[in-house]
Amino acid sequence: MESFLATYASVFQFMLLNGLLALSVYATLCCGQLSLANAGFMCIGAFASAVLTQRASAPFPLALAAGALVPALLAVPLGFPVLRLRGVFLAIATIGFGEMVRVFFVNWDYTNGALGLVAIPQHTTTLLLVASVAAVTFFFARLRGSRIGYALEALREDEPAASTLGIDPARYKLAMFVLGAAIAGLAGALEAHLTFMVAPSGYGFGRAVDMLVWAVVGGISRVGGPLLGAFFLTALPEALRAAGHAVGLAPGPLRMGVNGLILLAVVLFLPNGLVAAPAAVRALLRRRKART
Amino acid sequence: MPRRERILAIAVALVVCGLGATARAQAVPVKVGAALSLSGPAASYGASQRAGIQAAADEVNAGQLPGFSLVVVLDDDASTKEQGINVYQRLINQEKVSVILGPTLSTTATAADPIAQAAKVPVLAMSNTSPKGITDIGEYIWRDSLTEAQVIPGAVKKAQARLGFKTAALLYGNDDVFTKAGYDVMVKALADLGVKVVATQTFTKSDRDYGPQLTALRSASPELLMVSALTDNASAIVVQARSLGLTMPIMGGNGFNSPAFIKNAGPAAEGVLVGTSWDSTSTAPANVKFKEVMARRGFTPDQFTAQSYTAVLIVAEAVRLTGKAGREDIRAGFARVKGLATPLGKFSFTANRDADHEATVQQVKDGKFQILP
Amino acid sequence: MGQQLLNGIFLGSIYALFAVGYTLVFGVLDILNLAHQAVFMVGAFLALTLVATAGLPFWAAMGAAMLATALLGIVLERVAFRPLRGRADSNFSGLISSLAAASVLEAVALQLWGPDVSRFPLGTFPDRVLRVGPAVVSLLQLTIVALSVCLMLALTLTLQRTRLGRQIRAVAESPRAAQVLGVPVNRVIALSFALSSALGGAAGVLFGLAFNSISPDVGRTVELKGLAVIILGGMGSVPGAVLAAYLLGLLEVFTTAELGSSYRDAVAFAVLFGVLVFRPRGLLGGAAVRTS
Repeated sequence: MESFLATYASVFQFMLLNGLLALSVYATLCCGQLSLANAGFMCIGAFASAVLTQRASAPFPLALAAGALVPALLAVPLGFPVLRLRGVFLAIATIGFGEMVRVFFVNWDYTNGALGLVAIPQHTTTLLLVASVAAVTFFFARLRGSRIGYALEALREDEPAASTLGIDPARYKLAMFVLGAAIAGLAGALEAHLTFMVAPSGYGFGRAVDMLVWAVVGGISRVGGPLLGAFFLTALPEALRAAGHAVGLAPGPLRMGVNGLILLAVVLFLPNGLVAAPAAVRALLRRRKART
Repeated sequence: MPRRERILAIAVALVVCGLGATARAQAVPVKVGAALSLSGPAASYGASQRAGIQAAADEVNAGQLPGFSLVVVLDDDASTKEQGINVYQRLINQEKVSVILGPTLSTTATAADPIAQAAKVPVLAMSNTSPKGITDIGEYIWRDSLTEAQVIPGAVKKAQARLGFKTAALLYGNDDVFTKAGYDVMVKALADLGVKVVATQTFTKSDRDYGPQLTALRSASPELLMVSALTDNASAIVVQARSLGLTMPIMGGNGFNSPAFIKNAGPAAEGVLVGTSWDSTSTAPANVKFKEVMARRGFTPDQFTAQSYTAVLIVAEAVRLTGKAGREDIRAGFARVKGLATPLGKFSFTANRDADHEATVQQVKDGKFQILP
Repeated sequence: MGQQLLNGIFLGSIYALFAVGYTLVFGVLDILNLAHQAVFMVGAFLALTLVATAGLPFWAAMGAAMLATALLGIVLERVAFRPLRGRADSNFSGLISSLAAASVLEAVALQLWGPDVSRFPLGTFPDRVLRVGPAVVSLLQLTIVALSVCLMLALTLTLQRTRLGRQIRAVAESPRAAQVLGVPVNRVIALSFALSSALGGAAGVLFGLAFNSISPDVGRTVELKGLAVIILGGMGSVPGAVLAAYLLGLLEVFTTAELGSSYRDAVAFAVLFGVLVFRPRGLLGGAAVRTS
């Protein structure tokens, strides 16, 4: 049992961290914005906090705060032009932003370019991660039932209609975009102080898409959805690894191929995400019963 | 001999034989973990490392380490640091290995090695060439891969003595730790020799088209083109350079030291100089044996194979020197490894736990690597 | 200068061939098919295998690869996209589904062909070089440009002159109206995918031949550049994609020559960003919002 805990403690920590990232994407998804900018914000937050810790010997809470604030501040001027775009265009613009951030850090000697910052002290604890996820989840849960929450949902369902009702789309979308950036930046700062290092290669297109996938696969009808998606998809490669070892399979690309197949299956058969799985199963059983 | 004595003698002989057999059957297993990139962008290097590790382990277990049996536990980190960390935790806490080999990528190493250091598990890095952030993590982190700083300066000096160039152009991959570190060293080495760098261009790992960069370098008319690239990019760079009309000598670092380079570059590889840590043409017995072993297994070895094969030999030597197979014992054993005969040459560790063996300069002649005389 | 111009045209041709397939599917289905780059990669590997192992001449191998990737496109559409049609969030889910499909294809390629970089065997294509003043251009490069232009012309003619082309354009305009008018929407969509994937496969084969580097992850760089191209050209516009591809190719090449290659990728994304902010419909794109 003890060795099990020790072996999988890091997986658990990554599940929590990714849950935080999925929630950062949820912030923009819940008002209908398909934003892929959060990997870029995470990168900025991670570097900002790591630089403070290493070069300025700042205390950890200050580094964390900077990790959340710096991307949030950058999100404001970015949001104005970008949030006017619809659907897939917004997604592509934010992909472009993320790539520009990555290329910037690869070429910046102050942060050692591709090597990034190493030997960062490990200040992040599992407890801190749990607390962060709990706090953000709680915030979103409260938001849902509030007036602002209803406004956001109206925006997501039908933006033109919502704006005729007096809801200012620009303000709400910008607020959620900045919030998402802050959460992603915080996650970046936490990760930097968990894995001892920050390097630009970890924040590319793949990372941005992963976050979106966690949120959508989990389902955005409930706050718990993105968390569920993140937990499931972070644990899946490790579960497949353990299963592979148990059956004596040699490690290799097969595992990630199976990972992709499972993802495809979830997207195809559970359109409202994992969080709607019980409802989907119930609907299936009902249809079966009706047929007999 | 009287009958009673004879029976006693036979009984004693049987007991002794029995004891001997039990001793042989009870070889102490030495669990050797390996965290390799078997999928993702670094998969080709991880595959090479796996071949070297498995070959070496089989060789060692065929009688070179009496009383012990190496048990290799491999895992795939998908070229990401998260899975690298998860693999390390699994190897340390579940498989309870005595030593970890790897990981393939330097960035994964900077994230995962601190965990091994904290858990007091020795790590032997086989392909991490970043100057900072590897062995300086702590006394449990060792490496058998020469950094570019240990290879390039000597190579450049030798090449300059032979070719007499006074100007040079540089082309390097700026988004990979390996190639960026190589570039930093190349710049310094050239400066130390008084060679003027007339143009510099960069590319990224996933680039396949180097036309724009090579054309820009061509217009600067350098007398030498130095390239810091990974194997995957090296051959395409050389082929495209030659077809764009760049005729000056080309010199590369460790990434060029691979049979795949010659195979993929074809005639364009002719004359290319390579500063490298593995002399594939060496006739030292350890290297000859290594090549034979790999040939028997149907695998063409490259530098990654040589370094990972050597890593297993070093672990075996550490066990032999201390006579024990625990984590502390292997670490203590590493410190005592001196002049071990390996495919890389006579191997020892430096005081900083870095690799210490001779580097070489090779040149491609008639489609094969040869030592530059 | 002249050499860089030739480099730019050459690069542009390959981007163009890749991008027209991308933009075709977007125009018809309103979905970004992120599996296009995997089809690109599979095309390259198939042709390589046919030439290296079966000893086929290059032309036959390319033709066969295009046929095979067309079939692959039909399968992809059936498995990963059709089940999602009609779902409210088909933008998101299509994106993710195509991503999952791409990762499955990459894993299969990794398993079949290994992770190492391969190239077409020497002598696959005659090795002749022409001098145009101080610039150098190879017969291979000329052939690739010519082939790309021919294939793109073929596509344009198909779209403008044939019945299938009309049907495709009708479905792109409004699937429901097309259905009412008797267009077999499902079949047309499947055929669009086939066309798009055949072109993507062709682009892969030519890319592999041009740059001597084929690996399971070869699609990744082209994918993001392809995105910049179709945005610049206007989503859904084939001539736009072609124009934008050449412009981007030239822009990249001259950025490298003047500013150095570190900024080359950043420039592509800056262009992407700029277009989205100032002129989202791109150079030749139609309305940004598509009627259902």
